[in-house]
Amino acid sequence: MFIEVSFVALNMVEIAVLLKQVPDTNAKIAILGGRVDESAVTSWVTSPYDEYALEAALQHIEAAGGSITAITLGPDRADKVLKDAAALGVTKLVRIWGDGWEDLDSNQVQFALVDAVRASGAELVYCGKQSADRNQGSTGPGVAEMLGAACVVEVSEFDASSSSYVRPASSGSEKVTVSSPAVITFSKTESDLRRPNVRGIMMSKKAQIDLVSSDVGSSQVNFNGDSSPAEKPPGKTFQGSDCIPEVVGLLRDEAKVL
Amino acid sequence: MSQTSCRLFKGEDMVYEALDFYDVDSQLSEEEIMVRDMVRDWVDAEVLPKIEHACRDGVFPDEWRVALGEMGVLGAPLDGYGCPGLSYVAYGVICRELERGDSGLRSFASVQGSLAMYPIWDFGSEEQKNKYLPKMASGDLIGCFGLTEPDYGSNPGGMITKAEDKGDHYILNGAKMWITNGTISDLAIVWAKLDGVIRGFIVETGDEGYSAPEMKGKHSLKASVTSELVFQDCKIPKDRILPGVKGLKGPFSCLNNARYGISWGALGAAQACFHSAKEYTLSRIQFDVPIASYQLIQNKLAWMLREITKGQLLALELGKKKDDGSWIPEHISLAKMNNVDIALEIARMARDMHGANGILDEYCIMRHMANLESVKTYEGTHDIHNLILGRHITGIQSFTRSE
Repeated sequence: MFIEVSFVALNMVEIAVLLKQVPDTNAKIAILGGRVDESAVTSWVTSPYDEYALEAALQHIEAAGGSITAITLGPDRADKVLKDAAALGVTKLVRIWGDGWEDLDSNQVQFALVDAVRASGAELVYCGKQSADRNQGSTGPGVAEMLGAACVVEVSEFDASSSSYVRPASSGSEKVTVSSPAVITFSKTESDLRRPNVRGIMMSKKAQIDLVSSDVGSSQVNFNGDSSPAEKPPGKTFQGSDCIPEVVGLLRDEAKVL
Repeated sequence: MSQTSCRLFKGEDMVYEALDFYDVDSQLSEEEIMVRDMVRDWVDAEVLPKIEHACRDGVFPDEWRVALGEMGVLGAPLDGYGCPGLSYVAYGVICRELERGDSGLRSFASVQGSLAMYPIWDFGSEEQKNKYLPKMASGDLIGCFGLTEPDYGSNPGGMITKAEDKGDHYILNGAKMWITNGTISDLAIVWAKLDGVIRGFIVETGDEGYSAPEMKGKHSLKASVTSELVFQDCKIPKDRILPGVKGLKGPFSCLNNARYGISWGALGAAQACFHSAKEYTLSRIQFDVPIASYQLIQNKLAWMLREITKGQLLALELGKKKDDGSWIPEHISLAKMNNVDIALEIARMARDMHGANGILDEYCIMRHMANLESVKTYEGTHDIHNLILGRHITGIQSFTRSE
């Protein structure tokens, strides 16, 4: 079911895309001394939902004109996500970092991001619906709250020609457009993610990254330590045709896959 | 260009962990790593799901030509005229990642870049460079390389194909064989004797008297097009001769670059076979335990790791030499010969470790094994490269009975 909420004419847009660097989603995560051992992470990547946000932003400015500022918050290694964005054609790159920022809480992260978004002059903010490492989903709505902006979350389709977004609704999906300022958080969309090419990669070498910091105040959350997820319980084994009714019952009532 | 999946949404079986025991890739530049990841992701998303079908059908999918052009990796180390202008190390990395997919795919890129674009770039006229190179870099024009003849393989200097100067045009007569990309090419770099001297000519598809029938029945490089080139009073304009080179130096210059790329490419195939052998032997249970827990298997895995690691160090050092100009052709002979040799042995060993499953196209290994049989022979056979090194060591050539 689609509900057309409103219509906004296409204009040149300034979009800030928030990109988070996370351990490769296939990387093995080790805990050392009560913390995630970052030195054991062999590969860092852009959080996958953020890649869909970036793709939507690229499509948006291709259709409407305008420009993108890619913003990340992280240590030196996070430059990589900005360089990867530059290889796809993003020219304005901002990394936010400060001393002792390893344990910022969500509010502090959002404060810092909002400062950078304001400095970019963006009227739209695109980001993933949640990061692949912490999965909290707080960044988009939090940034929207601080900006006083509208917020559309879990967008699964973006139509560049009408600047409309499809999001989940109680009885299916609804298609909305929204006035700026607005924050849009993206789920996995139907769009194919574009690949860089050699020309883009060589351009990214020359791309300038602005390093900025913010006054984010003090954390309201005390960090006590990381721990690994609980071990999965062992699987159940069934043998013989007599078990079929029980297995079907479990698949239906417990696993809820039937 | 599209990417159909990203990491979060890949199945476990699609996760490829490239063996890099000595962390050789940490010596790559940021740019070279980005190029590596771009090609690796593309191979994961677009090549591996389709390669077995391409082999069964005996075709080189045209969409791969388009994608290679869009990525901008064709003619990687050449610069100017729309070419990428990457380092030789980057070119090697590209070959390695492509051949992890399939040797036929890497062959396409080798022939296009090193054997067809390179001679135009190095020996062509300004007009020829401007006419052909930008469209070849973008993949809009495909090239091939005609040197080998039915009766002249390791001895290309004996070639029969000849060119005659007819005043306002040349006439070519002869035949070439084992020509990768031949039938799908828009142009061929053809080496022929003009007044007894080997010269390079650009023959375009559609030139009168030129045909390129495909060779069928290969058990190897099945996703690559291999052809004959036939010239029967083939008439070509005077401006299609490559003005910048005479003699065997021309084709051998091209082959040096292609062989260099192969020394990296073979490692990609070897890494794929190692990866498959490791995964398979860790999951295959016999006598109640994974077969990887048996010493015979571990010995084989350790040998593979040893040889791949040595090959990686060899390829990288050679790449640095290519980039700083301190290489000699014998360096390339050693790397091509060694790395293809160990890759083939690794593929054969991996096939053995997979037991009966190893013959199925569910696993990449037998395809790589069959491909590498060709790679061992083409671009200077394994034995010829030994003779090149033998001559280098002793100062005595042993290719012929004469002298």
